[in-house]
Amino acid sequence: MKSTFFRFFAALLLALSFSQVANAADVVVISNSGTSISAGDVKDIFLGEKQFAGSTKLVPVDNAASQESFLSKFMNMAGDKYNSMWTKKSFRDGLTPPAVKSGDADVIEFVKKTPGAVGYVSSAPAGVNVVK
Amino acid sequence: MVAAKNVNTNHSSQKGLPALLSASIAGLLLSITTQAQAENDGIALHGFADVGFSAQTVESPDNKGFNVGSLDFYLTPQFGDNVRSLIEIIFETLPDGSLATDLERVQMGYAFSDSATVWAGRFHSPYGYWNTAFHHGAQIQTSILRPRFIDFEDKGGILPAHMVGMWATGKIKAGGGKFTYDVYAGNGPQLDMSEATITNPGAGVLTINTAGDNNHQAMVGINLGYDFSGSMDGLRLSIHTLSGDVDELNDVNPPVNNTELSMAGGTIEYLGNDWEVLGEYYSFNNKDKSGTSGSHSSWADFLQIGKNFNGLTPYVRAEKAVLDQADNYFSNQASGQSYTRQSLGLKYDLNPKASLKLELLNSKFEADATHGAGSSYRSMLAQYAIRF
Repeated sequence: MKSTFFRFFAALLLALSFSQVANAADVVVISNSGTSISAGDVKDIFLGEKQFAGSTKLVPVDNAASQESFLSKFMNMAGDKYNSMWTKKSFRDGLTPPAVKSGDADVIEFVKKTPGAVGYVSSAPAGVNVVK
Repeated sequence: MVAAKNVNTNHSSQKGLPALLSASIAGLLLSITTQAQAENDGIALHGFADVGFSAQTVESPDNKGFNVGSLDFYLTPQFGDNVRSLIEIIFETLPDGSLATDLERVQMGYAFSDSATVWAGRFHSPYGYWNTAFHHGAQIQTSILRPRFIDFEDKGGILPAHMVGMWATGKIKAGGGKFTYDVYAGNGPQLDMSEATITNPGAGVLTINTAGDNNHQAMVGINLGYDFSGSMDGLRLSIHTLSGDVDELNDVNPPVNNTELSMAGGTIEYLGNDWEVLGEYYSFNNKDKSGTSGSHSSWADFLQIGKNFNGLTPYVRAEKAVLDQADNYFSNQASGQSYTRQSLGLKYDLNPKASLKLELLNSKFEADATHGAGSSYRSMLAQYAIRF
């Protein structure tokens, strides 16, 4: 009985640890190869607070497939609040919310070809800057 | 929508276009958006709409029953990396049932950097927090009613909620947080006394000078704040000022009603951890420039606290205005009466774009020579608000 409980508890801990490792690795922020940004800028970029990197206009894009993980890891907010903040930003400052791409492939293609583009994907591809 | 107390909203600049023309404008906006989307020009049409119900005790002068609130459209056309624009038009029903159309905002700007954007045109006066954050967006505003003293000009607000002029705004990183600034100047309002009578002398309404300034003296305002970060992320403290001359519309020479408006105050906002704490304070030291009564001190403030519990937001608000009736600027305005009001409400988000609200209010107005006897009444308001 005691050993069964111990095995169950160990298995549970193992499953939770894998889960956390998976969450930590399941979203990375990428930018166009000509655009340099820091991890500390990500939240401001995706809230419309930071619109320029030097003279380059930043173009953030959302990824529908990874948005929940991204918002949890980088923005510390849920989707409803994120959308609400963009509505207020648009209404007050005339900004347009980030376009929403359907998945990693669309985000990567957009980021590669668009100067100033910033997006997020489930794994880091080649040909773009990975924000660390 | 509940009408402001003792305000005649049949104001010439707000009297609506014929309904057919208003509907045509709405149709034109929608067709422009549809065509633009097909051509991928990036012109997105957004807006707000609301309907409601109100009931009051018999002492209230406000309309009772079901009401159509407003239909608000706004566009944010993008013209390249630095050019900004925002156009907002609103259709709203007045207490007399007529339809009013307002070109609320036509602002065009240029973003020099993250710390400097300059706008020109008609914009929401950036004092406090509420006026620029919510304005006509009923669904994004937690409560049904705005604090009464910062209501819109045509609803009896005592400050110019809109301005035609220029506005510089931006944020500058400092000490982990950000300094924020708004510096603006434009045409000051005038006081329309056309509805004032011998028996109702305090029936004036502020009207915006949209086509030039009558007194060639700009109204100037500043709003400086600091956005905290870290453990205090979501907290903003700011101070604001606004000053300029306000004359009576079509006043004679020399003017019989000319005030140098001088306002200063501060705000506190906390938007974090599902809390919404909004507090604004306004002090006035207005100078009578057409008479000999000198300077007059008044003040007004409100504090609203709400917390979101998975889409359900209960809130409370207390507001108070102590307005010197020897100050012509307040005694002549329909809403220039000293008052207190407490509100208790509940906002329920059916989904991120639709909300139901219920609000209970307890209002008390002080008696004075121009506004007549004081009054006290209770109100219950309900609202269904959407955004798109």
